[in-house]
Amino acid sequence: MYGLINVLSENVIHGSDKNLSGATVTSVVITGMVVVFIGLILLVLFVTLYGKLFEAVNRRKENKKKAENAAPSVNKPAEAVPPAPVIEDGIEEEVVAVIMGAIEAMSAQSGKRLALKSVKTVKPQRNAWAAAGIADNTRPF
Amino acid sequence: MGIISNFLETMADLARESGFAGFIADDGWKNIIMILISFLFMYLAIAKGFEPLLLLPISFGMLLTNLPFAEMYHPEFWDYIEAEERGGVINDHYIDYGRVLQHGGLLDILYMGVKLQIYPPLIFLGIGAMTDFGPLIANPKSFLLGAAAQGGIFFTFIGAAVLGMTAAECGSIAIIGGADGPTAIYVSSKLLSKTDSIGVGTIALAAYTYMALVPIIQPPIMKALTTKKERSVVMGQLRQVSKVEKLIFPILVTVLISLMVPSAAPLVGMLMFGNLLKESGCCDRIAKTAQNELMNIITIFLGVSVGATTRADKILTLSFGKVILLGVIAFSLGTACGVLFGKIMYIATKGKVNPLIGSAGVSAVPMAARVSQKVGQEEVPTNYLLMHAMGPNVAGVIGSAVAAGVLLSIIKV
Repeated sequence: MYGLINVLSENVIHGSDKNLSGATVTSVVITGMVVVFIGLILLVLFVTLYGKLFEAVNRRKENKKKAENAAPSVNKPAEAVPPAPVIEDGIEEEVVAVIMGAIEAMSAQSGKRLALKSVKTVKPQRNAWAAAGIADNTRPF
Repeated sequence: MGIISNFLETMADLARESGFAGFIADDGWKNIIMILISFLFMYLAIAKGFEPLLLLPISFGMLLTNLPFAEMYHPEFWDYIEAEERGGVINDHYIDYGRVLQHGGLLDILYMGVKLQIYPPLIFLGIGAMTDFGPLIANPKSFLLGAAAQGGIFFTFIGAAVLGMTAAECGSIAIIGGADGPTAIYVSSKLLSKTDSIGVGTIALAAYTYMALVPIIQPPIMKALTTKKERSVVMGQLRQVSKVEKLIFPILVTVLISLMVPSAAPLVGMLMFGNLLKESGCCDRIAKTAQNELMNIITIFLGVSVGATTRADKILTLSFGKVILLGVIAFSLGTACGVLFGKIMYIATKGKVNPLIGSAGVSAVPMAARVSQKVGQEEVPTNYLLMHAMGPNVAGVIGSAVAAGVLLSIIKV
């Protein structure tokens, strides 16, 4: 034990040192693991702390938004159900269901009420490669 | 008659100066073996897909450096010499870079980026620009798994010391357990010198080969250390991380780790800088350059110049065998430490953490996380551990950089 403490106090080993003593090797292992753990535990604490802080801030914002939305609804009649979307002939029901599902997921995430009004095929003005090239070349520096 | 004798003499001179003559000179046969080994690694990279982005440049560098008389790389230029620096300070680890620039071959010039520790931090910049730390921020406890997996590094240090290697060799071999190629090259290029029996190329070869073998090395260890019940744990969904949290993270990690272990600052700093470029959203062009062009250029330079250090006299030694043996031990111990810590977390959280994600703490992004996912799905096909495993996986990158910093602080050249 004394040897280990002694080695830790003179914790510099030269690269060319051979036949490292047991105490030296043990000190490297202990120092290494302890420093790595301390470093990462500190990160756990900081990240947890600011994660909690942001969660609390977000929750407060959400509650505020909910309260704002709930207040006028007392006087308002029940919200009108959005009309059914206009679906172009030839578009499969499955495709419409997937689009509606994605919109619903976005609504739940952002808190905004989104509705699908129509689904129709759009003829692209230029092909995807050309569009990507233009977007890449005109992106502001 | 004179014309014929002149012709024959010229032909004889050409034959003497050709690389073929080098093969039959002293130890020339070793170069032939090294060239054959380079072919093997090329085969593994191209046909088997073993980390091809690095193994292919490394193996080609190996081929170039072992071609007799090609003079593309001069190991003697990289020997430390004693020189007086400004203020009359004697530096016994001095490298004459002027000589390298004056007389060096192409690979000598490229190797300067390794020796001056430029390439690994730049690779880390690219890795940072490609990494999403979201899963780690969502579940910060993953950091602990990333820390535990570094046990492979330090326990392998014991093994190397037992085999009678120097402190520099012990540190360089041990860092293979971090399963992080650039970190291994960073540490070994700083520690190893001419007097050591192994070179940077040996370490890089072992590190990248074992990283490619992660899907073969890890699963048996993971299964041996866990029960079916533990492997079947389905983990809950991770919370969503806001953009501000992702922006604070790289700054926080840089400041904290660099203050704690200053020698880890080049690696961690560049990793986090790359990540900040990505997350900021305001430097899209620079982030893309870091992820693609810069990363690709540095990968070529790093691979081919590290491959150049694999000269026959450094590889065909008993020490190479020791590196191969200790390298696989380092990887296995790292995996075992991660899984065992995962088991502790499984008990502490009353069965909410699947210990399989612990093995991903050995870096090797994203391969190790994919292995956790695959082994988990073997028990419960609907179990998606990938995002949970990405937390320890990226924590392992930070952990191995910290471990590298610790080794460089303790072992002085």
